[in-house]
Amino acid sequence: MEQRTEARREQLTSRLRGLYESLGYTRFSMRRFEEYALYLENKSFLKSESVLTFTNPDGKLMALKPDVTLSIVKHARSERDTLEKVYYKESVYRLAPTAREFVEIDQMGVEALGAIDSYTVAEIMRLAIESLRAVGGEYVLDISHMGFALGLMEAAGLSPEQKERLFTLIRQKNAHELAEAIVQERIAPFYAERIAKLAGLSGAFPETLARAEKLAVSDEMEQALSELRSLYSLLTAVGLADCLQLDFSMLNDLNYYNGIVFQGYVQGAPRVVLSGGRYDHLMHRFGKQGEAIGFALYLDELTRVLAEHRAWDADVLALYQPGDALSKVQAAVFGMAAQGLRVFAASAHPKDFRAAKTVVFRGDTFEEVR
Amino acid sequence: MLNIALPKGRLGDKVYRLFSACGYDCSAMETDDRRLVLADEGGKVQYLLVKPSDVAIYVEHGAADVGVVGKDVLVEGGNDVYELLDLGFGACRMCVAAPVGFREDLAAPLRVATKYPGIAKRYYAGKSREIEIIKLNGSIELAPILGLSDVIVDIVETGSTLVQNHLEVIETILPISARLIVNKAALRFKAEEIRPLLAALQKPAAEGEKV
Repeated sequence: MEQRTEARREQLTSRLRGLYESLGYTRFSMRRFEEYALYLENKSFLKSESVLTFTNPDGKLMALKPDVTLSIVKHARSERDTLEKVYYKESVYRLAPTAREFVEIDQMGVEALGAIDSYTVAEIMRLAIESLRAVGGEYVLDISHMGFALGLMEAAGLSPEQKERLFTLIRQKNAHELAEAIVQERIAPFYAERIAKLAGLSGAFPETLARAEKLAVSDEMEQALSELRSLYSLLTAVGLADCLQLDFSMLNDLNYYNGIVFQGYVQGAPRVVLSGGRYDHLMHRFGKQGEAIGFALYLDELTRVLAEHRAWDADVLALYQPGDALSKVQAAVFGMAAQGLRVFAASAHPKDFRAAKTVVFRGDTFEEVR
Repeated sequence: MLNIALPKGRLGDKVYRLFSACGYDCSAMETDDRRLVLADEGGKVQYLLVKPSDVAIYVEHGAADVGVVGKDVLVEGGNDVYELLDLGFGACRMCVAAPVGFREDLAAPLRVATKYPGIAKRYYAGKSREIEIIKLNGSIELAPILGLSDVIVDIVETGSTLVQNHLEVIETILPISARLIVNKAALRFKAEEIRPLLAALQKPAAEGEKV
């Protein structure tokens, strides 16, 4: 059963690889390790802060890569007027979400770096949607724009610590504690009532956008809404807007992300399976002049979705006797397999083995037994 | 069908009464049944009865869509879920308590006995105070009496247990009450079932706060 899941995962990744390559994204591959300093300086960018480290023969502290985006940004060209499109499929090493143990996780992702225009943003969004669709089943892509909440908090004149506190509560959709925090931080009523609404500002795209429009108080917020509006109309025009939802409570790390951010969910997986956004700030932290947008697909979160629960170990259990004409047995077994059946040939019924059908070799052919 | 994780015990009974009053009743819950999974005949809800400290884990992993859990468990576990409502009841405080007349020795690390090592660690790290954590699973009040620890970090409801053991609250860390939590993916794929529940609970929650 394990193998079937693995096979479906291979199928998914090879399909996505084909999709990304057909749009001119080139494979970015990297070594298993990077210098630890890269991750130390950008700890809050990582999904989990724990990094597996070791000392190399020169005494340098190295890390098994917990993330690929940082390496891609580090290697990106630094000029403004260029465009690089890359994808990756790499193993990353991080703490398992449930146990305090390191695990190797397959991750796939897409990044566009350099001069990012609205076409490129929409292309990345479409790739994100197509990637979710390729998993199979129902899916949802939540979209937000960092400029909306940030613009509101800047207009209210909040300090970075205040923003961080409110952001944490908004992310949890924790409206009751957000209301308390707003009182404690003594935010002017005009802004307070608007900030309080952010935790619940989510749902179907057009309705939520209309609700958000009433809260906009600055150019930055208007700009964010107009970007969302044009993105939505573009994706509607190509028939991909059905799975989109707006969720202004979704906020990525302020130090790295700006602009559009998004997260994908598929039915059957309890957590986020795809996450991405616009990360110009991360580029600037590395001294690059360009902008960037991209996403990662967490293949580990899909294991349960891709798992195939079969009641049978094989479709056919083919039993033969050592005295039978083995060439005929083999021809018949391979013949059934060529018809698309999963055939398990053995001279005796293996313990606990369950097959949909059991056949026994008699004379020239296999006959079904009940 | 909505899967609701309830903490076994007094809090769970209270939560069930609230849910039942909001139209999410389940006759199997009312009989003294020893089953842990109870579904109503209409197929609208299924209740899972789990250990209070496990509610958030069930919800985070999607085994339950919705759950009710004390804020103490939520802060300690740091689970990745949405915290949508403060139901108002089960109100108490997470406190630091010490023997009456306790004077802190700032030259030595403070020995803290607690069921909540995560909360204690974070609280004292915020104050840059070096501590030594002694993780206990019950009868925390005993620790300072026997000299096992200097102080305790625990939830305090009325404070009578503290008084009986000659302890007193010296600091309050955070207020605690029952919270409604929701799995992140469930909020997307079961929105039509979750939204009416939220709306129904919103009113009693606002009243509960006043009690």
